[in-house]
Amino acid sequence: MQNRVKENYTISGSFVFFLIGVSQTPGIVLNFQSLALRDAGQDAWISIILMGLSLHFIIWMIYKMLGYPAKDVIDVHRTIFGNFIGNTVSLLLVGYYFILALFVFRNYIEIIQVWVFPTLKTWVVGGVLICIIYYAVSGGFRILTGYSFFGVLAPTVLIFALYFPIRQGNLNNLLPVFNHSFLDLLKASKSSSFIFFGIETLLIYFPFLKLPEKNVKWAHFALLFTTFKHTSVIIVTLMYFSQGLLKHSLWPTLGMTKIIELSFIERFEYLFIFMWLTVIIPAICIPIWCCTRIMKRVAKLKPRLSLPFLLAILFIAALMFNERIKIDAFEKFLIEMGFYFIFVYIPFLFIIYVIRAKIGLKRK
Amino acid sequence: MLPNIHKALREISKSSDFVQTTITVQGKLLHFSYYASLINHEQFHHDLLSFIQTTNCEIENLDDLKALIPIEEIKASSDLKQISLSLTKGSIFLQIDPHLNEGLVVNIADLQLGLRTNNDTENEYSVIGPKVGFVENIDTNMNLLRKGLVSEKLIFEEHTIGSVSKTRVAIAYLEGITNPQHVNTVRQRLLDLDFEVIFDSSFLDQIIADNSNTLFPLLISTERVDRIKYSLISGQVAILSNGSPYVLSGPTTLFDFLISPEDYYLPWILGSFFRLIRYFGVAFSILATSFYVAILTFHYTVIPKELLSPIIESRINVPFLPLLEVLFLEITIELLREAGSRLPTKVGQTLGIVGGIVLGQAAVQAALTSNILLIIVSLSALASFTTPIFKMSNTIRFLRFPLIVLASFWGGLGIMIGIMFILGHLMRLKSLGSPYLVPLFPFRYKDYSDSFIRSSFTLTSNRNKYLRPILTKRYSLQEGKDIGDDYNNE
Repeated sequence: MQNRVKENYTISGSFVFFLIGVSQTPGIVLNFQSLALRDAGQDAWISIILMGLSLHFIIWMIYKMLGYPAKDVIDVHRTIFGNFIGNTVSLLLVGYYFILALFVFRNYIEIIQVWVFPTLKTWVVGGVLICIIYYAVSGGFRILTGYSFFGVLAPTVLIFALYFPIRQGNLNNLLPVFNHSFLDLLKASKSSSFIFFGIETLLIYFPFLKLPEKNVKWAHFALLFTTFKHTSVIIVTLMYFSQGLLKHSLWPTLGMTKIIELSFIERFEYLFIFMWLTVIIPAICIPIWCCTRIMKRVAKLKPRLSLPFLLAILFIAALMFNERIKIDAFEKFLIEMGFYFIFVYIPFLFIIYVIRAKIGLKRK
Repeated sequence: MLPNIHKALREISKSSDFVQTTITVQGKLLHFSYYASLINHEQFHHDLLSFIQTTNCEIENLDDLKALIPIEEIKASSDLKQISLSLTKGSIFLQIDPHLNEGLVVNIADLQLGLRTNNDTENEYSVIGPKVGFVENIDTNMNLLRKGLVSEKLIFEEHTIGSVSKTRVAIAYLEGITNPQHVNTVRQRLLDLDFEVIFDSSFLDQIIADNSNTLFPLLISTERVDRIKYSLISGQVAILSNGSPYVLSGPTTLFDFLISPEDYYLPWILGSFFRLIRYFGVAFSILATSFYVAILTFHYTVIPKELLSPIIESRINVPFLPLLEVLFLEITIELLREAGSRLPTKVGQTLGIVGGIVLGQAAVQAALTSNILLIIVSLSALASFTTPIFKMSNTIRFLRFPLIVLASFWGGLGIMIGIMFILGHLMRLKSLGSPYLVPLFPFRYKDYSDSFIRSSFTLTSNRNKYLRPILTKRYSLQEGKDIGDDYNNE
């Protein structure tokens, strides 16, 4: 069993609200609306709700599996698979979290390049972001929690920006409701599932929460809040865009904010994109922190060494995805991987864990 | 053979203000050694010499002498080191027989010499409220605090710090209210300190602060007595240092630096409003010019078309990049401020008018800067002076420069990156071991009654939790005296 995390490094259990909340936010600016639309048409919003609700089970499983006493997935791997295989599986997770971070990172760079600075090179934006990511992660988990706190607050203000597209929207676009089969809805859920990714980082930072079992409600609240946000965004999108146009949009959310005109500011999407940095930084930092944590726990590699190494790879990997087609393929890959990780691997782990616990009890 | 103290003292001190004299009393020779520049001569003649010379009692030994002199701080000593230390602090060394090693050390230091006795809080002015400020003398300062907080719980804990200056430093706190952990932290850091001369309490501030590589002040330093009283009753620790009219208090949060005592002298709605104005001032002062650079360099499409033509008109003749234009004006303002604070008050005012109005107008006419920028820069300079604590307003004035440079590189992205850096830095900072950004992070919603806004006194009856005071309750609430629950006025 791992040593308990020291008291002064833990955070209040209710802060899991912000950690989960911010991890699930960055997908909003991407094309989840058009991906969901391809399978479920105007019913895409139902798919989002379904996805959100089903994740409550996953949260329940994670809390059951990791609570009493608090531990992380590395311990679970060790107890289930034994030390050697368990550690190997844990190391595989490094790759998963890294890809998760890379996805957010690369997509934000692309948004900057397409929407704001068409001539700015990838390595410049990437390099600047890497600096701030290094600063944030090296501050430790508490600092990441702080960033998440601001990362949830800032975009919540941006929700009010939805008022403008609602005014332009057409409610008839949502009708008829329920004219897609349940299978289609599930398919749509899967293809847009990446907006909910990030919740699985809970597997690593779980022991950093104070009294996690008592604060499980905050994790569920976070998920409810995310589901509400995503559903309202997709409903507004469906109202605002025609289906034909939406199918070919890459950043529908940004497209909607573009129409906002105030007496002192035009091109509101600039403000939106820059404010979005408050979301992006914690959403990249938390998975990267998870990577360093796993490497420390499994390979005894100090974060001082592993963090620059990880960030260097992140930087190089971001340079490799230099075309839209590659990024698209990467997105598809991530959706497949993340979906099976969350909906197959975690329940699988949970079931084995429960069975082992039962056997252990009988032996006693 | 022990060294002869009388001679040894002569050896130690070659200074010309060191005096050794003898006075004949009842046929006996009394030997005096002292620094003439340090002692209170009036006290020396009236309280010491006159009593000794007019006495009828026999003076046989030191004890007789000790009983004669009506001064509290008096003791017999034969330790050369201790005696010479006392002498440098303003004591007199008195011997009956210079061949004996024992003598009396009488403290008649002149504490008021060369010090002002009152201070009008000129640097932290407030329209309403007391205008009494701390002075350079630590005893006066302690007296001011004692007069305001009439309670035996007010504890002063004195230490001597500085290998050359031997400065008296006092830690003040309210026993039973202030968390002893804070007191321990301060005490430990003060005792660990090795420094030669403590010129001012800001030395202590920098040396005992948790992080020395930060722009942000981690302890409040103020000359206002009411402010320190308020810090003490809310559970903070104050540090007084002799020779400095500025008293430190901590642990602080970022938001403490934007609180003015005047907020509490106004009705809470007005107090809160002015406090919010100050927050706005800080944000404006840090961000306004960098926004100007970012928008005019990269994001000119953000400007609405009605606003576009005045901006173009004012900038049409300016040959420079926005960055150069902004730096030129910002540095001009900084020069004016720096020159203004170095010059005597009256000259400074004149210079402000010449510099501010004439230079600004001329710069616009010469097409070195645009009118709009002139407005923004002077407004943001003005806004930076709304901060009640001088150290914080320095920080705020500095912070805009990195942001301007970042904005000229990457526009809005640069500004956001700068803000994220500042945010991360603030979250890392600690003041005497407690987080700097509470109650925002870690989030303490119960402490919001008195942080961003100043709520009415009915809501602030408890101390703020983030200071972890031992006693939470401040005062009990009274029944409302307005119409309140009875609408029929019966």
